[in-house]
Amino acid sequence: MMAIVEKRNFREFDWLLLTLAVSIVCFGIWQIYNAQPTEIYWQKQIIGLILALFLAILVAFIDYRVLVYYAPVFYVIGIILLILVLTPLGVKVKGQQAWLKLPLVGQFQPSEFVKIPVLLMFAKYFNERNKFSPLTIKETLVGVAIIALPVGLILLEPDAGQALTYMPLLAVVLFLSSIKIRYVILSIAACLILLPLGFYIGVKTGKIKQYQVERINVILDPESADPRGYGYHTLQSMITIGQGGITGIKGDTERSQSALKFLPEPHTDFIFAVTAENTGFVGCVSLLLAYALLISRLIMGARYAPDRASMLFIMAFVGGLTFQIFINVGMTMGMVPVIGVPLPLMSAGLSSILSTFIAIGFVLSVRMRRFVNY
Amino acid sequence: MKIVDYSQNLALRIAIIQVIAYLVLFLLGVRLFYLQIIKGDYYSERAESQRVKLIKIPAPRGAILDRHGRILVDSRPTYIITLSAEEIKRINPYERVDDYARGLKLDKQYLIERLNLIRKQPGFETMIIKENATIEDIAWVEAHNLEFPELQVELRPQRFYPYGEVLAHVLGYVGEISPKELEKAEYADLKPGDIIGKAGLERYYDRYLRGVPGYRKVLVDSRGRIQAELEVVEPQAGQDLVTTIDIDLQIAAEQQLEKSVTKRGAIIAMDPNNGEILAMASSPSFDPNVFVRGIGTAEGRKKIEEYYTDENRPLLNRAIQGRYHPGSTWKIPLSVAGLQQNVITVKESRIACGGGITIGNKFTRCMGNHGFPALDYAITKSCDGYYYRLGLKMGIDGIIKMVEEFEYDKPTGIDLPNEKATRTPKYWKPYVERREGKWSDIRTVYASIGQDTVEATPIAMLRTIAAIGVHGKMYVPHLMKEIKPIGQVGDFPARPGVVYEISEPKIIKMTREQEELVMKGLWGVVNAGGTASGIRIPGFDIAGKTGTAQNAALGTKGPKDHAWFVSFAPAYKPEIAVMAIIENSGFGAQHAAPAVKGVYEAYLRKYHPSILGKQDERL
Repeated sequence: MMAIVEKRNFREFDWLLLTLAVSIVCFGIWQIYNAQPTEIYWQKQIIGLILALFLAILVAFIDYRVLVYYAPVFYVIGIILLILVLTPLGVKVKGQQAWLKLPLVGQFQPSEFVKIPVLLMFAKYFNERNKFSPLTIKETLVGVAIIALPVGLILLEPDAGQALTYMPLLAVVLFLSSIKIRYVILSIAACLILLPLGFYIGVKTGKIKQYQVERINVILDPESADPRGYGYHTLQSMITIGQGGITGIKGDTERSQSALKFLPEPHTDFIFAVTAENTGFVGCVSLLLAYALLISRLIMGARYAPDRASMLFIMAFVGGLTFQIFINVGMTMGMVPVIGVPLPLMSAGLSSILSTFIAIGFVLSVRMRRFVNY
Repeated sequence: MKIVDYSQNLALRIAIIQVIAYLVLFLLGVRLFYLQIIKGDYYSERAESQRVKLIKIPAPRGAILDRHGRILVDSRPTYIITLSAEEIKRINPYERVDDYARGLKLDKQYLIERLNLIRKQPGFETMIIKENATIEDIAWVEAHNLEFPELQVELRPQRFYPYGEVLAHVLGYVGEISPKELEKAEYADLKPGDIIGKAGLERYYDRYLRGVPGYRKVLVDSRGRIQAELEVVEPQAGQDLVTTIDIDLQIAAEQQLEKSVTKRGAIIAMDPNNGEILAMASSPSFDPNVFVRGIGTAEGRKKIEEYYTDENRPLLNRAIQGRYHPGSTWKIPLSVAGLQQNVITVKESRIACGGGITIGNKFTRCMGNHGFPALDYAITKSCDGYYYRLGLKMGIDGIIKMVEEFEYDKPTGIDLPNEKATRTPKYWKPYVERREGKWSDIRTVYASIGQDTVEATPIAMLRTIAAIGVHGKMYVPHLMKEIKPIGQVGDFPARPGVVYEISEPKIIKMTREQEELVMKGLWGVVNAGGTASGIRIPGFDIAGKTGTAQNAALGTKGPKDHAWFVSFAPAYKPEIAVMAIIENSGFGAQHAAPAVKGVYEAYLRKYHPSILGKQDERL
């Protein structure tokens, strides 16, 4: 494989992008250690980082066009994995059958990985459409169909949070595929009207369960929500973040909300709260800036992408990344209801970090081949 | 950019996505600024308040001792079972009442009341649901640790009254502070669940007996489990109270009441030279341990309920709260006042007995016919006729002057809560005049022999006769001898000791001759063929006065009379004054005087065994 990589390509290797991603993961490992110093999550995460780096470089040296070409194959494999999750091979954790345990490979979360084939499918399909005409209804429906299958299977687990993270991928792809602006405005307006309406009808008809209503109420008024019930997670997370102040408590276990177990899921869903507690405003803003830098670098990659397929892949990836950051960090700060979505590159969990690094590998691969004519 | 040309405004659309991404991150940064910089202190405080807890270390309460240092009340370690506030916020404890009641053998109603109380008191950390837990209770709690983590076993000192019903009215009892008491200024520094004195000396000297609780400042996790100890502040024990009580005399007094016909009444022994109470018994009595221990058990609560509803009123301290017509014991102050007011003189003290007196068309008789007795003889024989006329001569104003002289218009000032004052014509006159138009002579006649408008407390009558024995010095009766000091503990400053300061006695002015005349009469009651000659103790001359308080309206049949005897001894150099009242038993000489004799014998056995020895030889 190395043989097909020309010397020139190496010069184009985006060291900055990879360094940024690795730095965020390293920062995350430190926070995982702060969250659960007595557990082995942080050690597992180091192994995850090494594996992820290896995978990213491996993907980087594969011609991304090959990957796009075989997108349907990956897609089918992904769907099979999601079906397997629902069989007895799946592992149930906290009421969600979201993990798959396979011999040799071990336990992983297919819903994280299936994002890659979905991105590839989008890239392949929307690259091949007539580039000069506005998006047709048929094309839109195909886009919906591509995510409908995995999202449907993920909802059966049920993992609404993961399912939600597929939505921005489609939105970005449609937006960049010449969808008419009036449809964009129309759909935003429809969302603004239909979401509250749907919520209201859902509550009235009992389709939306009481705990889901409570989670919404908590966001609207966290202080008066039952601090022992549904408001607990949000309130404790806000206390944890608030207590960090400007520079944080710097690992003082006698003050740590996570060490004293007031903060639930500190190493996964609430890793941002742990970061806020330990490194304060300074650390958190640095992290947000790092994400901003990462996103800028990715978008730059998209701008210089040699073809439409890679551009779509990168931008959809950016959309998904930004959406996850917003949902997760927003959740820890009481802006968004509690939804189980990991913070990309920060939360402990091999599936999340590996899938993100595969996508980054794709971006690196695109970058290295940007002067290649086709 | 290579692919821009292909579609509509692609560069713009990418830029829009980029701007949205930056906006999202900026929005998160703004929220972060709000939570960490603007509200940072607020959340730091919230974090601290949920992780740092204070666990109270109760202070041992001071002991109560008798005059010779014997323990009357102390605290002993017991196990208690508590409900943790942290845990019961998570569960509905009302659903578990049945389990608690069964497992800990508690009254269900009591548990529900406790839980209701918890709701009203947000400031508590733990609430006791069972005191004096047995080994079985502790085992049950430990065995159900996972099922009921809200239950905890703790070691706590508990008040213990080794003598039970003996001296109960004086000692009082302790209990948990009530929500109402918490609002009082004197309990400003207390918290729900704290123990305070509720009655008797426990209440009167509560601020000395009560210690200052310490606390453990601990770090807890989200389940309330202790992770580390941050600070320990040791409690400062309460101060010990040494009383004037002699427990041997007290027991003797209680035995006399137990032996009496109705088992209802009071006996008090006092040192007339300074007002120290040596014994104070009131019967029927109660067991203070029931209040301390029984509050959580069905039987205990039933017992307490009985104490409150019993028509014999066992919770009443008859010695200071009972009001009885003093009957002939009232003749003592009347005699002194007659001399003081010059109605009679030492030389000219004779007044006719007449076998009684006719007021209007009504004849009120004397118990005998005593001719034309002098004062001393009138006292010795308790001649009513004499005092009818003496009273009339003094007039109601003279009697009221006497009331003021002997301070019957106010409580004696004994150091016990809720002492009642004697009621006299001074108190009743305005009422009578309003209702009947005038104060009639017949009321003056009755007031002269301690009936009708005169209702005295036993302690007031004892104080009177004791004063006669010591040349008219009327001391304030008291139970506190000394409060022991306690040293400094940590930041809690040392608390100095207190010794009871005997205030200057009120002097009942009498000339030597007047005093001798009255004394002769009182001495004669026991030693010269008087009304109580049956209780004479050779070698230990008792001076006293019998009394019989009529309960039925005059001339009708009703409950039996109350029997009084008030006295001091030895007659001309008194060491001890003793009184007894036996309710509804009959004549003072027959029922009260022997009870007093019993106390004197106990006194002699202890302090002058030789006197009793001689008596035995003579027998």
